[in-house]
This record gives sequence, structure tokens and C-alpha cells, in this order.
Amino acid sequence: MTDDSNHRLTALFHHGAADASSALAKWLGRPATLSVERLETLPIEEAAAVMGSSETLICGCAMRIDGAIGGLLLLAADDAAGLSLADTLLERPTGTSTAWGELERSAVIETANIVGCAYLNAICAALGPAGADGILPSPPVFLRDFPEAVMEGVLMEQPVLSDIVLLARTEFRIDGTPVACGLVFLPDAAGVAALLPPSGNPEGT
Amino acid sequence: MSPADVPPPQPRSRDSVAIGQIGVATGSGVLRTFVGSCVALVLHARSRRAAGLAHVMLPASNGKGTPPGKYADTAVAETLRLLCEAAGEQSLSCTAKLVGGATMFAFQSGIPIGEQNVLALERILGDLGIPITGRICGGSHGRRLAVDVVTGAVTVETAGQGTETLL
Repeated sequence: MTDDSNHRLTALFHHGAADASSALAKWLGRPATLSVERLETLPIEEAAAVMGSSETLICGCAMRIDGAIGGLLLLAADDAAGLSLADTLLERPTGTSTAWGELERSAVIETANIVGCAYLNAICAALGPAGADGILPSPPVFLRDFPEAVMEGVLMEQPVLSDIVLLARTEFRIDGTPVACGLVFLPDAAGVAALLPPSGNPEGT
Repeated sequence: MSPADVPPPQPRSRDSVAIGQIGVATGSGVLRTFVGSCVALVLHARSRRAAGLAHVMLPASNGKGTPPGKYADTAVAETLRLLCEAAGEQSLSCTAKLVGGATMFAFQSGIPIGEQNVLALERILGDLGIPITGRICGGSHGRRLAVDVVTGAVTVETAGQGTETLL
């Protein structure tokens, strides 16, 4: 990816992160911020490992995105952070939730929906006419699985699989404290085309 | 260090095979990987204590073919070739095991890509006369697996569902 492309994309994703921060703070009822941690093009085998290679399970919510910027959005967290997030949303003391019941899953699914849509809607708005169609998100799907299997699932959802993928990673802070939770957006080929002018397309995507 | 001091190549005792890649080991050791929708193709030649593991991502290369481990239609032949090379043989009698092919997300219509991967590998192995002696495929969860190079046994842990061994 050229420097120009990187700057353009970073600016777009900062718009997304800013709106998603506002949405998350409102949803949680406390200060919360999302920041773009990394925007990069990666070989598939490296992309598959971005969630780590822990032998313990992580939880996540995935949404298929269609519309102006298609792709797949994943909100993922380690179990403790995910359950803690659920406690916050359910107005329980942290540590109350110890397993993934229906309520806990619903809380995290709704968070993915609110944060993910705010994030991508802001990017669409910043794209101008190219983003006029907006996004069409699928209902989020909850999963709890090995980190590499989750990322593999994300990569396999792309209609056209190339050896290089564009990946945007975002980190979370709630009440100023980093949370072991991340948002990953993997645009599909049409999504990349919308995000970057033709001269700035990352090779291979 | 003189040539006499150079230790002979040793198979790695732990060898993790990344997505689209192929790992081969002889003598002893363990080959490992994680799979979700991808399929782990395990070829084992008991007589030579040799095992190969391909982390297959897609059913067909459509002429692309690199890396060969990524596609079912190139992974079988390449794993077999690497296995023969490692064992120092022109040909080997092998058995196969398949693990993976889960549907991680139910977003796409039609036959899920994981199932397409399994079907493609079954067809290719059948064409080559390589018997499939064990499989744990499908479902909606990822799997962690370890292949014992000596016995060919494959230990499979399915996320949240326990561990099984394919002998």
C-alpha cells in the first residue's frame, strides 16, 4: 500500500472510530473510545494469526457487510473481557457473568451491532458519493472458538480470496482502561475498491 | 565447525502448519495446526514413519496453484511429493485423514466452502487410490489437531466439545 493510500485509509478509519466511540460510550453509559491500532495489508497466513494463537477460546460477533463498503466485521474479545463487557451492559458488578448464557450473548451481539454500524456508517459518510449507498449489515453471529479458527472463518467469507488482505484493527478503552477486545474489518474486493481510488489499490487485493 | 560436527537434520518435534502451507516430518515428532473452514489433509506412510499435513483453504486453484497447500487440487499431489522426498522414496503407500471443513459463519448461501473443500479432497484422494481412514469434518466449530508422525494418529480438539483421536 502506498503512503497516500495509507493516509487516506487511516483518515477514513479514524472517522469510523470516532463515531463508534460516541456510540459505544452512549451504549455503555460511560467513557469509551475506539482507536485505529493498525491498518495494513497482510499475507493471508499472517492475517489468520492476528487474533493470536492462544489455545484458549475467544468470543466474537461477526457481521457480513454489503453495500458501499462490503466485507466482514468482527468484534472479538477474550472470554474475561467479553463477559466483563456483558456485566457492564447488564448493569451487574464485574465478575458476575462466568459463562455465555443467552443474556450475555445478546449483550455482546448488540454491542457489535451498534459499534460496527456506527463505525462503517461514518466511513461511508466520509467517502462522499462513493459511500452514498450506505451499508447493509447482516444480523451479528456470536461464536466462541479458537482465535485462528475465528480469523480463518473471517478470511474464508470473502467472495474473492487473494493472497494479500487489507485489515483494519481497532482497540478499545472503557473508562480509560484498555480492554482485551478488538474490532477487525476485512473489506472484500468491492469494499477495497470503494475505500481506495484505483491508483491507490493495494496490490493483490 | 567441521563438517563432521554438523548435526544431521532433525525433524522438528513441534511443527505448526500455517494456513495454505504444507508440513512434512519423518522419524518422529508432531505436526500441528488449527482449522476452521479450512481442511487439514493428513497423509501418513506408516512403513516409513512419515507424515504430511496440508492446511487446505480452497477446493480449486483454477490454474493459480501457489502456494500449493492452499488448494485441494494441488495440495494432495504436493504433500505426496514432499512426503516421498522426505522419505527418500519414489513412491509411498499412504493413508489419509481429513479434519475441518466447518461452517464458521452462516452468511453465504449454497454449499459452504468448508464442505466444498472436503468434497474436493475426497474426490482427489479417491482418484489416486489413497484410502481415507478417518475424518472429523463439518459442524460449526474450529479444531486444533496434532499428528503423530510415527503412528499417524491424529488428536483433534473441537472448540468447546472435547477431544477425539483418529487412529
